[in-house]
Amino acid sequence: MTATLAQIRSGRVFYLFVAPFAALTILFGLWPILLSIQVSFTASATALRAAPTYVGFANYAAVLSDPIFAASLARTLIYTGLSVAANLAFALAAAMLLDSTLLRRANVFFRLAIFLPVVTPDVAGYVVWRWLFDRSFGAINAGLAAAGLPPFGGLASVDTVTAAVLIAELWHHAGFYMLIFLANLAIRDKALEEAAAIDGATTLQRWWFVVLPQLRPALVINLVYATIQFLKTFTVVVVMTKGGPSDRTNFVSYYAYQLFDQARYGEATAMATILFAIVAVLSLAAYRLGDAR
Amino acid sequence: MSPLARPRPVLQAIAYVAASIVSLAFLYPYWWMLIGAFRSTREMMSDPLRLLPERFDLSIFAAISRIGGVELWVYVANSVAITAASTVLGVVVTALGAYALVRRPDLPGFALLRYVFLITIMYPYMLLVIPVYIVMFKLGLLGSYAGIVLFLALGPIQFFLFEQFFRAIPKEVIEAGLMDGASEISILFRIVMPMAMPVTATVFLVTFLLNWAQWFPVLVISRSPDTYTLPVALLAMNTELGTNFQGIMALAVITTLPVAILFLLAQKRVMQGMAAGAVKG
Repeated sequence: MTATLAQIRSGRVFYLFVAPFAALTILFGLWPILLSIQVSFTASATALRAAPTYVGFANYAAVLSDPIFAASLARTLIYTGLSVAANLAFALAAAMLLDSTLLRRANVFFRLAIFLPVVTPDVAGYVVWRWLFDRSFGAINAGLAAAGLPPFGGLASVDTVTAAVLIAELWHHAGFYMLIFLANLAIRDKALEEAAAIDGATTLQRWWFVVLPQLRPALVINLVYATIQFLKTFTVVVVMTKGGPSDRTNFVSYYAYQLFDQARYGEATAMATILFAIVAVLSLAAYRLGDAR
Repeated sequence: MSPLARPRPVLQAIAYVAASIVSLAFLYPYWWMLIGAFRSTREMMSDPLRLLPERFDLSIFAAISRIGGVELWVYVANSVAITAASTVLGVVVTALGAYALVRRPDLPGFALLRYVFLITIMYPYMLLVIPVYIVMFKLGLLGSYAGIVLFLALGPIQFFLFEQFFRAIPKEVIEAGLMDGASEISILFRIVMPMAMPVTATVFLVTFLLNWAQWFPVLVISRSPDTYTLPVALLAMNTELGTNFQGIMALAVITTLPVAILFLLAQKRVMQGMAAGAVKG
C-alpha cells in the first residue's frame, strides 16, 4: 500500500498530463455508455426523469420478440457479410495491381483516385451517389441507356437497393482497406518470391503460396475494421434511403435511431447494447481467428 | 536481372486499362458533382451525362447564400472553427495522455483508463445519441460550440499514432535527460515533443480531415442550425422536400473541396498516418 502511495506521488506529474484525456474519455465515452445501459433497463416514458422506473429486462424481451428487429438484424448481418467480402476483395485486387511491377507510372494517381473518397465527407459523397442513382437526374441510368443496357433500379427498387448502398459504401471505404494491404505488401519479403520464381513457380502459384500468406496481418486488421464498420452502417441509410424501400435497408443502427425519434428510449438503448455486444463478440472472434495461426 | 522484374507488354497494357477504368469510376462522382453545381435542374434532366456545363454560371452560390434560415458563411465559419478547435484540442490532449500512459503504465489506474478508452471507441457511436444528449444536457453544454468541440476531440487513430511513436522512443534518451536533472515537464517539452513534431503534424492533418466530415454529433448536440457545420447543412438540405438539385451539388462542392485540396497537398503524410494509426489498432 505504501509502495502504491509512493508510486502515485512519484507519478504526480503524469496524472496531470493524463487528466484532460481521462476527463474527456470518462465524460463523453464511459458515462454515455453507462447511461445508455442504465436507460435500457427503464421504462421509456420515465427514462429521462430523475427517478426512472426500472423494468428489468423488459426492453430486451420486447426487442428480441419484435419481428421488425429480427428482420433488421438479419438484413444487417447479410449486408455486413456481403460488404466485407466485396470491399476486401476489391481492396486486395486493387492493392495487388498497384503494387505489381506492371504499373510503374501514374501509380500515385491511381492510389489518390481510389483513396480520395475515404477523406471526402461521407454525407457529401452519399448525397452525390443518391442523385447518381436517380431515375431522371442520374448519370448511371443515362449511361446504361446510352449503352443500350437495361436500367438499374437503384434506390427505388427492393431488388437493387442493397447493391446500390453497397456500391456507394464501397466507394467511400475500400480505399482505406486498400491502403492497409499496400502497407503490408510494401514490407513483405520479396526475396521469397524470387526464390519461388527460380524454383519454377508460376505467377499464380507465387501469389497464392508466397504473397498471400504474408498478407495475413493486413487481412485480419481489415476483416475486423470492415466488420465493425458495416455492422454500424448508418450514414448511408440516413442520406440515401431512410431505411426503405419496404424496410430493405432498415439496418439495426437506423432502426434504433428511429425508435429514439419516437421516444422509445428503453427499447432503443436495449437495441444499442445488443448491437454493441455483437460488434464486440465478432471483432474479438476475428482477432482470435487471425492470431490462431 | 531479377526474374520478377520484366513485365510483359500485353499484361502491362491490361493492367493500365484496368487501373484507369477503376480510377475514373472513383473520380467520376466528383466531376459530376462539380458540373451539377453549374447546371440547372432542367438542363440536368435533359442530359445527365454532359461532361461540361452549358455555361459557367456562379449564380447558384448566391442562390444558396441562405440555407434553413442561416447564412451560408455561418456554416462555413462553423466548420472551420469547430474542426480547427477540436483538432487542436484533440492533438494536445491525446499527445499528453498517450505520453503519460506509455511512460508510466505501472501507475495505478493507467491500464484501466487505456482499457476504458479502447471500449469507448468500439461502441457504435451513433447509438450514443441518447446518452450524449443527456450528458450534454446535464453539463449545460447542449447547443454550445464547447459541447461539440469537446465531443469531437478524441479519436482512435490519433491515440494509436501517438502511442506508437512514444513507445518507439529509446529509453536512453529520456534517462539521459533525467540524469542531467531535467524535470519531467522539461523532458516532455524540450526533448520528446521536438522529436514528435512529424507525428504531431500527421495527427493534426488526419484529425482535421476526419473531424471536418463529422455530422452526427454536431446534429445531436446542436439546438438550432446556428451551430451546424457544412455536412449537417448539406444533410438538412438533402432531406428538404422539393429538390434543389443544383443547390445540393453546389453545397456538396463547398463541403468537399477544402478537404480534398488539403488531402492532395499532404497526401503522402495522410496516407502513411492513416495506415500506421490503423495497423496499431
